[in-house]
Amino acid sequence: MHSKKLIFWFDELGKEHNDIVGKKCANLGEMARMGLAVPPGFAIPIDMYREFIKETGAEDEMSSYIKEFGEAKGAAIQVFEEMSENLRGMIEGKEMLPPLRECIASYYTELCNKTGTENVAVSVRSAGTESRPGMFETYLNVRGIEGVLEKVKKVWASAFTPRAIAFRVNKGLPILGDELGVAVPKMVNARASGIAFTVNPVDGDSSKITIEANWGLGEGVVCGAESVDLFEVNKNTLEIASKRAGNKRRGVFYKETGADWADIPAKIQRMPCISDKEIIEIARVAKSAEEFLESPQDMEWAIDQDVDFPQNIFWVQTRPAKVASRKVDSPTNHIADLMAKKFRGF
Amino acid sequence: MKEETKGKVKLWDAVPGYEFDEKIDVPEMHSYFHDGVHSVPRLTPMYGCFYGRLNPVGSQYASETLSIPTCKGWSQKVKDGSTYLAMHIIRDKEEIDKRAVKFKEALVPWIEDFDGLWEGYKNELLGLYDHLKSLDLDKATNIDLIHHLWDMVSTYRRMWEIHFLGMYTSMSAVALLEEQVARFGLTSESPEFQNMFRGFDNKAFQVDKQMSEFAKAAVKSGLSDLFKNNKAEDVLPKLEESDAGRKWKKDFYEFLQVEGWRMVRMMDFNEPYWLEEPSAAISVIQTYVSKGADFDLDEVRAKLIKEREKSINELLQKVPEGEREWFRALVNLGGKAGSYSEEHDLYCELYCHAVIRRGFLGIGRRLVQAGTLDRPDDTLFLNPDEIEQVMLAPEFHKLQYIANRRRADWERLRFKETPPVYTDRAGGMDEAVGKDLLPSGDVIIIKLVVGEMPKVKEELKADIYGVCGAPGVAEGKARVIFTYDQLDEVLPGEILVCPGTNPAWTPIFGVVKGVVADRGGTLSHTAIVGREYQVPTIVNCFVGTEKIKTGMRIRVDATQGAIYILDKS
Repeated sequence: MHSKKLIFWFDELGKEHNDIVGKKCANLGEMARMGLAVPPGFAIPIDMYREFIKETGAEDEMSSYIKEFGEAKGAAIQVFEEMSENLRGMIEGKEMLPPLRECIASYYTELCNKTGTENVAVSVRSAGTESRPGMFETYLNVRGIEGVLEKVKKVWASAFTPRAIAFRVNKGLPILGDELGVAVPKMVNARASGIAFTVNPVDGDSSKITIEANWGLGEGVVCGAESVDLFEVNKNTLEIASKRAGNKRRGVFYKETGADWADIPAKIQRMPCISDKEIIEIARVAKSAEEFLESPQDMEWAIDQDVDFPQNIFWVQTRPAKVASRKVDSPTNHIADLMAKKFRGF
Repeated sequence: MKEETKGKVKLWDAVPGYEFDEKIDVPEMHSYFHDGVHSVPRLTPMYGCFYGRLNPVGSQYASETLSIPTCKGWSQKVKDGSTYLAMHIIRDKEEIDKRAVKFKEALVPWIEDFDGLWEGYKNELLGLYDHLKSLDLDKATNIDLIHHLWDMVSTYRRMWEIHFLGMYTSMSAVALLEEQVARFGLTSESPEFQNMFRGFDNKAFQVDKQMSEFAKAAVKSGLSDLFKNNKAEDVLPKLEESDAGRKWKKDFYEFLQVEGWRMVRMMDFNEPYWLEEPSAAISVIQTYVSKGADFDLDEVRAKLIKEREKSINELLQKVPEGEREWFRALVNLGGKAGSYSEEHDLYCELYCHAVIRRGFLGIGRRLVQAGTLDRPDDTLFLNPDEIEQVMLAPEFHKLQYIANRRRADWERLRFKETPPVYTDRAGGMDEAVGKDLLPSGDVIIIKLVVGEMPKVKEELKADIYGVCGAPGVAEGKARVIFTYDQLDEVLPGEILVCPGTNPAWTPIFGVVKGVVADRGGTLSHTAIVGREYQVPTIVNCFVGTEKIKTGMRIRVDATQGAIYILDKS
């Protein structure tokens, strides 16, 4: 057995655990601490990955492969694809070490017990110590311990997607530099999901909370490809300032295992996917998170169709909001900007 | 001919295409709001045609040019000389956002150089007026006159286009400032806020000042009895009887050559302009001589400038340092709004209407010569189409039966009340304002024409509630009057109760203790002049002239927007 605790429940974590479990896990812990409803789940620390590659020999294999490969800076994408395939194979091809397997399985079983669901559906998500949006893999709707173990290895291996390798090479970082923790939260059986910005990401207006939403899972909103619902809530009064139902033709939904894009039935395409009281509750929680964290937030939420309001709103991510950088404005531009905003807002 | 036609020929619409039809117009737009600021008393048919048709075009032109995000101006209809307007509200968020981007760009030059742009437009207007004035109406051919009619229409249209460009930009600045100062605890009704817009010099105040100086000069030259004891029209001949009188008259006529293109009544063509009938200007001098010659505009102005600077400095102290620069720029721009709101009247409505009145009287003289009309000003009871039909061969036509009947209707209805709104909203005025007015974000209509709605403050137990136009408290006898020609009834120290005011009323602000107006917003003439003259002023109380009778003692707590009737005898 190992002397140090390997796996953590989310509510045992906080931002001080960033380097141990990765940013996403630490963040979920921090969110749970401030009272946000976070889906239950556990965090697999980075050390477990290190142990895995060390004990299975993958580390040595990868190191010598990279050494032999030589200089990759400036190489064509095909080169990174080839490296990716080889390096990922070196991780995915190894059997999970029995002690690690036992450890992960015991937490998964306990999560099944906690949620009262056999083979509870979870997502298996990458958690690096630094945020690299969209670079590593996430697997949705994974059921049963075998699936979880396989996806954990795949997440670890996703540190070597062609994009991730190219990124590190071009930044002069070690190719093996990104080591990933893994977050394993219970899947929210999402009727609708979306994002809440406590500051308008385009123009920096901080008087309203902007909510984007689509039917199904959050992946159907985050990538920004489809027309989604857009709501604005006045931050002071928590009154809905505007509602625009998007023409939501497609969204991401569960399949037997996994999840994928699918067409949304015509009759609900133009229907708002969340109710007014859900809009207001999302805004209320987002506002309190912003106050607690003392900075504007970009937050992901999902509404569980199996749970009653207001317990049905789950939060899966919050991070400091990025506002399109604004030039230092001349007084004229600033006034024109404020006027435009004011007269848009009636 | 008159007798033959009467009753046999259909009398077509006075304002073709713009007659209000409740059954058709209300379902289309939901709510039509009465423009009580501009159509009380009711308009003549010719003015109804010009105003009903081209004032909305001006609002739409400016809304499109500036790309106002939430509104495409308004539609206007005329009902028996009263005008009603309905806002073109944009409700699609994507369209609003798109327009907002262009709006921002369009505002930039105005924020940077409001005065420069206004100067250019002012000169454009003066050029158009000079062109109209250059036609010798009595020597003109009928062809010249019909072209003149079209030139008048086009000048009038351009006047409204320019008018609204300046209005939207300057008043948007005030509305923004109003929003921005909220975080420092101020509102549009706060004295500290209103102080920031007082004491700006502009052409309107310069002319007022010149008029009061003529009054002072008359008193100094020993003419005050002559002005006090004679009717306005008798003053001028009597001035011929003395050297001092002749000298004064000569100076005054010189002044009128320059400043006399000014209507007495702002929003119609039916009353003379100063240069046409100098006695109209004389009555203003009389008001100053008999009641307000000691009113020192300069002294008041100097005090207002001090207060303005103090209020601005106090506000800027509260503004975080990093924001002070743009805040100061915004305050400066906001200051233009009050000033522009007064000055544009002179170059837009008052001047333009005088020049057009001149034209209609000229056309009228020709039609009287041809036997088509009985009086030159009968033209004001026709519409442009009717004049067009007869202008090139007037001797074949008789239009008396139309003009006389419309004149009789107009005289009968002139001062009749009319509903403040026609709406199909179940909640009446409140719901109409909430759904069909406020979402327009139209600063002109909200802050000037329809005005802010009064708040009933139960705890004050007031008899009437209105909106603070100029802060302060006054107590005294009420004087209820409806038109400026009753201004001579007002005694010093009384409280003026009226439907609303326009530049013709300005001198009375130096005489009264307080002002109560039925209609108007915080940027209406009444409120602006109330502030300039430091007279406690309440606007938009709706029922002042109805509930208050002349002679009643009333207390006006303008700061609170509360009016108390002290003795209800």
